Amino acid sequence: MDRCGNIAVPVVECRQVTKTYSSVWAGRSRAVCALRSASLRVDEGAILGLIGPNGAGKTTFLSLMAGLLWPTEGLIRICGHPARSLQAKRHLGYVPESPAFLACYSARAVLRYHAALHGLSRRDVAIETDRLLEQVKLQECAKRAVGGFSLGMRQRLALAVALINRPRLLLLDEPSNGLDPIGVIELRRVLSELRQSGATVIISSHRLGELEKLTSDYVFLDKGRIVRFSDEASPAQDKYLCVQLLPGGANITDASVVPHRLIELSQTQAKIAVSGIEDVPDVVRRLVTAGASVAGVHLETEDVEQTFVRLCQERAS
Amino acid sequence: MKAYELITETVLRKTYLRVIHAAWFGIYAAVFLIPFPPDRCSWGSFVFVWSGCLLPLLLSAGIFGNDVASGRISLLITKPIRLGELYIYRLIGLSLQGAVHLIAVGTLILILHRLTNRGSTENFLAWLLVSWLIFNTWAALSTTLSVVVKREHNAMLLFFTAGVVIFVLSFVVSFYPDHRLTAVFLGVVRWACPPVELMGQMGLGLASLRQSLDSAAHSLMLTVLYSAVGIILLSKREFKYAREG
Repeated sequence: MDRCGNIAVPVVECRQVTKTYSSVWAGRSRAVCALRSASLRVDEGAILGLIGPNGAGKTTFLSLMAGLLWPTEGLIRICGHPARSLQAKRHLGYVPESPAFLACYSARAVLRYHAALHGLSRRDVAIETDRLLEQVKLQECAKRAVGGFSLGMRQRLALAVALINRPRLLLLDEPSNGLDPIGVIELRRVLSELRQSGATVIISSHRLGELEKLTSDYVFLDKGRIVRFSDEASPAQDKYLCVQLLPGGANITDASVVPHRLIELSQTQAKIAVSGIEDVPDVVRRLVTAGASVAGVHLETEDVEQTFVRLCQERAS
Repeated sequence: MKAYELITETVLRKTYLRVIHAAWFGIYAAVFLIPFPPDRCSWGSFVFVWSGCLLPLLLSAGIFGNDVASGRISLLITKPIRLGELYIYRLIGLSLQGAVHLIAVGTLILILHRLTNRGSTENFLAWLLVSWLIFNTWAALSTTLSVVVKREHNAMLLFFTAGVVIFVLSFVVSFYPDHRLTAVFLGVVRWACPPVELMGQMGLGLASLRQSLDSAAHSLMLTVLYSAVGIILLSKREFKYAREG
């Protein structure tokens, strides 16, 4: 239910979405499944990170949501409308990885053009153009031809283009590509403001540190499958107990800490997966029983980068 | 606003388009200055070939293909605009460019003809009209091709295909004039391809009023048909957002 008591329609609803690319070459047909039975529901005001190794299907997933591609199977709805419908596109803002504009247009002309495609009136176009140029800090380059813009400037302009209709859903594919540190901070500020205004943002990015500053909700994709959605992850895999060991103690093995899982072991440190702080006494007791000399412990929470690496390793093995 | 932006985009999208218009004017002016202009040349037929048939290929080069190749199409597709609208406004943009170009060229030629009295301006208004009609047909065919062909290849492909068709046509008409397949080939070229022959007869004044109206209707129908195919192709196409190499 939303604030008005109405049944809330999810901003993004994907049901069992499969996307297969087919090609025929030299008389042989070849099909590549880029996305397999992906289901996802994203509600208003969320910022969701889409992460995964190269070729995992992130861009395909975003392109399907943006209506650039059609799902081979399944259903995608944006604000309750089919992804390719005009109604869905009225609520959508999209920033591609390498935004391209007409090189001879100025930044202002590009914004005017896209505002016109949204059906804004002449007066609104002028107001929105000024607001957005200021928001993405491109006022000084407003009259320059876009062909001379750096990648970072084009990214800023693409963000402005995506925000022109004050979208309910913003899809960003590697939005910080080419942005300088100030640009990244500005992007973060803009996205935080958007979230406060109730917009939903889905970001595909490899800059996991940056992503972590924006959200704690992730979808991990690998080989076209949603491997993990942060809400449904088992918390036991999120935390580690780092145990400082004194030399000369007994050798620890996996069996020493069962039912917990030994992640890393060196002469002076052991890293054990735990479900929370309540497991600490049990782990320490088991280690001491096994003959280890424990000098100290501290609990570590796995950050998104570690989660990413771990999930990649798990998938690879 | 939407229509205005999409129509003006067809001329502002590339700097070379304005250069082409200027170059065409230069060519027409230069032809009057060269020492050996064919004094019996029909300026109308010259405009028909040069501006009616060649110009639309250049103006529509990469009209969708460039957007697809650069990845810009992903920004257009995600806007709340029907793909048919996108196509139609672009075609209208080309058609208006053609109309303005032909009016300006016609004025220039009439002035130069009055000054130099070289060549012939017989049926000149009819030639300008058929030039615009054939311009639209070629523009629609080229724009449709641009939906499925990368970058500016649509114009080149159409130019060379037209060349091959003309060559084959001349060959079969010369060597097998009475063959059944020659008649079929001629029929296909006459009725399914841009109607150069029918429009030419209109320009030369060889067609009756009824035939001229039929030929004009045929040209408009082909323009609509090519456009409909283009709109369907555009609506059915998927666009991978990544740049195509």
